[in-house]
Amino acid sequence: MNNLSLLMDGFATILTWNHLLIMVIGVMLGMLVGVLPGLGAPNGVSLLLPLTFTMDPVSAIILLSCMYWGALFGGSTTSILFNIPGEPSSVATTFDGYPMARNGEATRALTLAFMSAGLGALAGVVMITLLASSVAQFGLKFSSPEYFAVYFLAFCSFIGMSSSAPSKTLVSMMLGLAFATVGMDSVSGGLRLTFGIPDLVKGISFLVAVMGLFGIAELMVTTEEGLSFNGIKSRIRVRDILRTMAELPRYWASLVRSILIGIWMGITPAGPTAASFMSHGIAKRFSRHPERFGKGEPNGIVSPEAADHSAGTSALLPMLALGVPGSATAAVMMGGLMIWGLTPGPMLFITRPDFVWGLIASMYLGNVVAVILVLATVPLYASILRVPFAIIGPVIVAVIFTGVYQVANSTFDFWLLLFFALLGYLFKKLDYPVAPLVLAMVLGHRAEEAFRQSMVMSDGSLTIFWSNSLVSTIMGLGVLMLVWPLFSRMLGLRGWRRRLQRQKPQASKPATPDSRP
Amino acid sequence: MTHNGISRYSMEIATALLTGGIGLAICYGAWQVGTGWTPSGPDSGYFPFWIGVLVVAGSVVNLLRTIVGHRHKDEIFLDAARLKSLARFVLPILGFAVISLLLGLYVGTTLYVLFAMRLQGHYAWWKSLVSGVAISVCFYLLFELVFQVPLLKGPLEHAFGIY
Repeated sequence: MNNLSLLMDGFATILTWNHLLIMVIGVMLGMLVGVLPGLGAPNGVSLLLPLTFTMDPVSAIILLSCMYWGALFGGSTTSILFNIPGEPSSVATTFDGYPMARNGEATRALTLAFMSAGLGALAGVVMITLLASSVAQFGLKFSSPEYFAVYFLAFCSFIGMSSSAPSKTLVSMMLGLAFATVGMDSVSGGLRLTFGIPDLVKGISFLVAVMGLFGIAELMVTTEEGLSFNGIKSRIRVRDILRTMAELPRYWASLVRSILIGIWMGITPAGPTAASFMSHGIAKRFSRHPERFGKGEPNGIVSPEAADHSAGTSALLPMLALGVPGSATAAVMMGGLMIWGLTPGPMLFITRPDFVWGLIASMYLGNVVAVILVLATVPLYASILRVPFAIIGPVIVAVIFTGVYQVANSTFDFWLLLFFALLGYLFKKLDYPVAPLVLAMVLGHRAEEAFRQSMVMSDGSLTIFWSNSLVSTIMGLGVLMLVWPLFSRMLGLRGWRRRLQRQKPQASKPATPDSRP
Repeated sequence: MTHNGISRYSMEIATALLTGGIGLAICYGAWQVGTGWTPSGPDSGYFPFWIGVLVVAGSVVNLLRTIVGHRHKDEIFLDAARLKSLARFVLPILGFAVISLLLGLYVGTTLYVLFAMRLQGHYAWWKSLVSGVAISVCFYLLFELVFQVPLLKGPLEHAFGIY
């Protein structure tokens, strides 16, 4: 097993006290942003990214990826104890997690959630370990037209798989692509779309966009809803944890099913949020006791958590091996890679195996560290949410402003931040998806470069995207994804998506009892 | 505006017009730098131009879906009470941006936290002031000393000789 020995090398790279300390810091910070409403994983990673510019890439990616795991766990904690999803992807956990905690079984709910999340994440990493090399090998066959086709497929699957209206997804994504083209044109060196504003010459940073769209906008929606915390006091007893762990094998069917859903949705750009909703929905449909769902059914906690985390980890596979991120957070991390001077994609496996396998090894260790830490520190993080929002909100805003300034030491970015905040607020309230915009912003340059190189190769003929079987297959899949909404409507499959969407309260909205299914 | 707030219908239209407008601006900007074919391949405006066209097309569909389909006519986007709490949150942020530009991020943060806590949480003056100063000092210790990334400073820091 070649992958196995590479993985061992990876472990050798990361098993230093320094890296372990970074892991712990990353997980703790991640839980903090996961717990705080308005600060999610994409935002946390964006805030931390400018501080890693001078770090060695291996340490930097360990810090950021561990923050991601921590944020995923933190999001589940608030879902269960406060009925407030800290992350959009943990909304589905509130359906059964909060009722179980309210029935006095907070420890059981938390342990079930963390253990199945940990198992889901581990399954995702195992999948990455097994597949990464071969996917990268396959990716090496790609030249510009194939790359453009892969980006095309990613964009199309967003339009086809999103629960929002296709035209809204299209607008959001194309705006992202357009924002990415502002500033210096990397091919000709000329300026474009700057409209005579000197501050736009450096372009629009995706980090500023993330902080506006996910940060300030999320806080605006939260403030408007008026947050009231109705927390459940939790004392974590080791005996309860062990008893729940022994109970876990009973839910193996839900676990396996959810992990498969999660891995699939993570690799394709559907993302963790869709995966957790779908998994909860399917668990309910397959259950012999669907009436127990929504009242604290263990399967209703295990399923969304395992799917959420396996999707979260799996999203890193296409990012590493092909340079196409599977989630908004993965997109931000990929932007980080490019800032550190690394090019995500198959060549990375050849030029920097220490980085790739160090990251994969850190995912094993980071998730174990995260499960242990999160169980140990739940009361601490839960107490943070008891601080009134009128104090926490302004602090988060101030942190975001300092973060935005650190991106490029530019005060113009303050105005861009406010613009993105407005856009994000409108988009969230009108059901435009925001993640495609961020993904498109990160991928914009590469997509355009691939397109222009293909055009040069073919002398301006679009037929190059159908010139061989590989590129035609990928483009064909893309077109299929694009027309998928039409198909599924004809086949009557659209219904469950609608139903899911109706169940889905807004990301930061505290789910009221009647909005639960 | 209806009597009980802004309707979602009008906001859908406004947002579609906003994105459509941005799309037109993108097309115009791309057209300025050239959208044709050059000896070295597509011109720099070629790709953005078609992206802009797609933004406009999507916005038109959104607009028509709303108007022709009479979607979201009875839904309320924002009522007066929510508008008030939103304004209490957003206005201090605008002030924060302006003050930070003039006086630097540290003064901006102190004043912003002070006023945001007063407005949103109705805390006592001294509590808000202490929190504002404490958070600024934390930022200073964290960013300037631990991570060594300088934040924006204004005349006040210069007067004290802090760079």
